[in-house]
Amino acid sequence: MTPESLLQLRTEKCTIGCPVLDRFLAGGIPCNSLTELVAESGTGKTQFCLQLVLSAQLPPSRGGLSASSLYIHTEFPFPFRRLRQLSTAFLSSRSDIFTSSNSYDPCDNVFVHGVYSADEMLDIMPKIELFIQVNSKSQFPVKLIVIDSIAALFRSEFENTGFDLKRRSSLFFKISGNLKSMAKRFGLAVVLTNQVVDLIGGITEGLNGIKVGNLSSLNSSGRRVCAALGIGWANCVNSRLFMSRNEDMIGGGRSGMVGDEEGGVYQQSKTRRRLSVVFAPHLPESSCEFVITREGIFGLET
Amino acid sequence: MEKKESSRQICGKDRIIALEGTDLDVPESKASEILKYVSQTSRMDGSSRSPATFDGAQTAWAMLSEENFLPCITTSCLDLDNILGGGMRCREVTEIGGVPGIGKTQIGIQLAVNVQIPIEYGGLGGQAIYIDTEGSFMVERVLQIAEACIEDLSEYAHLHKDAQDCKVKMHPNNILQNIFYFRVCSYTEQIALVNYLDKFVTEHKSVKIIILDSVTFHFRQEFDDMARRTRLLSEMALKFMRLSKKFGLAVVMLNQVTTKFIDGSFQLTLALGDSWSHMCTNRIILYWNNNERYAFIDKSPSLKSASASYSVTSRGIRNSSSSSKRIKMM
Repeated sequence: MTPESLLQLRTEKCTIGCPVLDRFLAGGIPCNSLTELVAESGTGKTQFCLQLVLSAQLPPSRGGLSASSLYIHTEFPFPFRRLRQLSTAFLSSRSDIFTSSNSYDPCDNVFVHGVYSADEMLDIMPKIELFIQVNSKSQFPVKLIVIDSIAALFRSEFENTGFDLKRRSSLFFKISGNLKSMAKRFGLAVVLTNQVVDLIGGITEGLNGIKVGNLSSLNSSGRRVCAALGIGWANCVNSRLFMSRNEDMIGGGRSGMVGDEEGGVYQQSKTRRRLSVVFAPHLPESSCEFVITREGIFGLET
Repeated sequence: MEKKESSRQICGKDRIIALEGTDLDVPESKASEILKYVSQTSRMDGSSRSPATFDGAQTAWAMLSEENFLPCITTSCLDLDNILGGGMRCREVTEIGGVPGIGKTQIGIQLAVNVQIPIEYGGLGGQAIYIDTEGSFMVERVLQIAEACIEDLSEYAHLHKDAQDCKVKMHPNNILQNIFYFRVCSYTEQIALVNYLDKFVTEHKSVKIIILDSVTFHFRQEFDDMARRTRLLSEMALKFMRLSKKFGLAVVMLNQVTTKFIDGSFQLTLALGDSWSHMCTNRIILYWNNNERYAFIDKSPSLKSASASYSVTSRGIRNSSSSSKRIKMM
């Protein structure tokens, strides 16, 4: 047992494929670490992950890992069509790197696997490890694991009884322990998505009086929410990011359209999305607005 | 009074051993003979470096005077240092617990940097061992905190003369080199490492703090047999206790929180159960109060229970920014 030299120990980061978001996250998603993405449905978790599996294939000179990735989905079906769409945009916007190899298809470097239960998730861990090990010599070794979402595995099967909660939290720690040791062994970046639950109760208190992280409260769609799976799971991840969406009414009230005799009141709404750091060992409390377009997910300069 | 006098004579001028308190029915002359014999044999072992009569035994008086000279490692947060009596005590095992994101790892990193503050600046000029079980240790963050620490020191150096030679010593890269970082990925590795630490610290005498971040993570995974878990944990705690005494270093163990079902409601407690709560000398709980971070001394044999606010800034742990405001308000 010898200590590792901190001078050589630099945390690799995987770009998100957008300079604004990369800057916001100090370079991207860190390797050797578990990053959790919390958001209600329809905010962009899956979009973020899909973009990440593409940008991970970029060479290190462009902030990527030159790596393929393993995408474990627990919510069905897997959005193949969106991945295809994003990969076309990905290729055309980076034609300088990819012109030489015409046969290159980014989708070839994304391994997709569906998992239906928490026990199955734990069961396939050794297989994943073997798979990564076998792949480690290839041109694009696996350097990124995405689990979308971890919440779906746990939110149906378990009852709210002492026995089940205990079993559930022991599974949390086993899955997270396995992922962390794999992340360390192979230098993987691991991204997990999590759902939210509505928060009912006091104003400053979180779920059961627990406040987790910097944000005084997490708001999305005008509701106060917090990450699903409770405090036990919160102990299992290294960083937690939160994505929120809120409908902004623009031009609410009378429309300014010329010739609108009726004077009809209509409201046009615009979805504003925001990515915030709840907690992370290397990031301060901050947030960044982003948009989702056909080409992917992009941060907005403030 | 007479008895006390005689026991003083047995043990030398500056030591008092309370023979009269014992229940043994031994006449005093016999007792002094026994004492003499024991102290002679232990001297023959060559292991009687300590001035006590029994090898390893010390009088409370000697311990008190020793304790007054115990060095402290500052937390860089004045309020926190104040309630801790100067910072993290050497020779003591301190447990720090709190919810994710409250700043446990940040305090750990801060201490690993601060233990290296040179003696000329009132520090220990030591080295640190950082045992990472969770993977939250980020070198880029250590660098940030180290650079801020050096900045603060050089500001301080303007007021003092012997600054230059210290500046050379305190380079961010040197600070990184003086942190021995171990990443452990299972509880067996964790136990093996703790067993190895004695040897490691013997070879690296200037290690003045061991940070275990966190004690909990691997012990919440595998164990169906809770009795076994308790045994392993208490064995580990004892080893840390011995290390801290033997080498005069501070041990800081970070702990997670869990919810416990008490009286019909869920309450927050530190993880690893009731038996674990006896293991550490000091216990500090970190919590949120509105939007401020607070530290609370939950258990300590020498410090009174108190709480203080702190904040986690880009430069590391510092005084809470609003604590000055609050004083103004009053």
